[in-house]
Amino acid sequence: MPLLEIRNLGKRFGGLAAVSELDLDVGRGEIFGLIGPNGAGKTTVLNMVGGTLLPTRGKIIFRDEDITKFPPYRRARRGIARVFQRDVLFRSLTVLENVLAGFHLSSRTGFTEIFFKRPSTRSQERVLHEKAMEILQFVRLAQQADEMAINLPHGNQRALCLAIALATQAQLFLLDEPLTGMSGEEIEAMMSMIRTLRDERGITSVVVEHNIRAVIGLCDRVAVLDYGRKIAEGSPKEVVGNPTVIEAYLGVEENAI
Amino acid sequence: MSRKLLINILSIVVLVAIIITLPIALKSVYWASVLIILGINILLVSSLRTIKLLGHISLGHVGFSLIGAYGSALLVMKLGLSFWIALFLGGLMAAVIALALAYPFLKVKGIYFVLLTLLTAETFRLTAWYWRSLTGGFWGLLQIPSPNPITIPGIGIITFDTVNSYYYLTVVIVALSLFVLYRLERSHLGFKWRVIQDTEVLAQSVGINVMWYKTLNFAIASFFAGIAGALFAHYQHGLSPDFTARFGVLMSIYLLVYMVVGGEAKFAGPIIGTAVLTIVSELARGLGEYQPMMIGAIAIFTVLLMPEGLIGLPNRVKLWYRKLLKQTRGMRGSA
Repeated sequence: MPLLEIRNLGKRFGGLAAVSELDLDVGRGEIFGLIGPNGAGKTTVLNMVGGTLLPTRGKIIFRDEDITKFPPYRRARRGIARVFQRDVLFRSLTVLENVLAGFHLSSRTGFTEIFFKRPSTRSQERVLHEKAMEILQFVRLAQQADEMAINLPHGNQRALCLAIALATQAQLFLLDEPLTGMSGEEIEAMMSMIRTLRDERGITSVVVEHNIRAVIGLCDRVAVLDYGRKIAEGSPKEVVGNPTVIEAYLGVEENAI
Repeated sequence: MSRKLLINILSIVVLVAIIITLPIALKSVYWASVLIILGINILLVSSLRTIKLLGHISLGHVGFSLIGAYGSALLVMKLGLSFWIALFLGGLMAAVIALALAYPFLKVKGIYFVLLTLLTAETFRLTAWYWRSLTGGFWGLLQIPSPNPITIPGIGIITFDTVNSYYYLTVVIVALSLFVLYRLERSHLGFKWRVIQDTEVLAQSVGINVMWYKTLNFAIASFFAGIAGALFAHYQHGLSPDFTARFGVLMSIYLLVYMVVGGEAKFAGPIIGTAVLTIVSELARGLGEYQPMMIGAIAIFTVLLMPEGLIGLPNRVKLWYRKLLKQTRGMRGSA
């Protein structure tokens, strides 16, 4: 049974069909790539799975539950974490506080706790603190725990975005261009981190990315979108050799010139 | 560390002592009544800052204060409820109305929220103006009774019909309310508000029900605005929906100025801002119509010289002092 099932998904913006008749299955523990030329509808798909956009038609099923109409926070509670394009993180908080914000789902505090902190709450806070540090160790940001998030270099900010997603205990990560604007070294580090997430924590990822070479190196399976439709799906090697895909990409380059 | 704690405890003791002895030392009904209004305004501005924690600026806080004021006064006068219950219910009414309005209001941001709240407050005020059968219309409500006396076993009966006794009542209620607001800000609720204010879209995607926590914030802030209104009503014994008075636009703007001048980043900011500006404007009463200009001038200077507000003054002074020290040392060195 796939972790994420997308059935006949469609999104129209006015008269424009951004995504149409899309079917996708993402299995547990897969790293699934979503590629395609500019404006192919990749981010729109990610937005619909994350819940920031509602589809015009079709269904999204996650862990056998229809989540098509769920607001984003409920999807997060079911185990979907969004890692946004660019550096969307809590800029006015420290690195550690960013991770703690991600943990908020698992912290159960009642209303009375506002005035009297029970010993159990304190120990719970200590446990969360330790867990947060563990996550920061994993993304190699433990040294910078008390720095302001906004002061981190770009690559580290992206790693922190991953750490926040990890803190939510999500099973499915939606990564929107995780490698954009990174140096070669940073790309390597990020790719190995996404792989480790899968190997050590069983985390499934859906990756939208422009960097085709990276996608081929990273993903187990790839789907190619063009004008909102899926034109190919399969292993990275199969897809890259597919004539329709080559045409789609070259066509764009022609237009670009 | 322990020395710091000692200093903190000492300064709190001194502050409490000053607050308790102030009306006795001043020996003036006039100043006691200024202090009562100051206390009420501190609660208004502090709860206004609670909304600011979400990044929203409300120009409609007086509207919710009006609900609490009229609500509490009418409950006492028409239904014969005790002040103590009416006070709470007045706050609750403001909170319930805020709850009902929260969804459309908190969907919008920036200037739109400012306008919506401003117009809402005006709507409440005009409703009080035109609903004569209930609110007395233009003439307002008159002869709102003082709070009911309370009996404490072993001590006796405490009445609240003098200015000084009402001062202590205000101090206790405002202090309790501020304590609640302070604890809320330090709790997981406050953390969520901070996170939402920072990056709403990410807050949502880590599983925070953004709309719910915003609504809660708005309702809590409005509850305390309502409490402040009820305190005002039973002190003044009369309410008027006149636009120059308590519940008009001008008051909303004053509340905002108090908050900004005091410094909105810290909890104590609005308290200091309200206190300083109220006392200054009382001392400047002799200036007559130029009095608002004083407030304006102070506001402008604070914003220009200390963007973090009066609350940042100690740090500023330290900085200036160090700079001065360096300069004089430098001069000595060159000489």
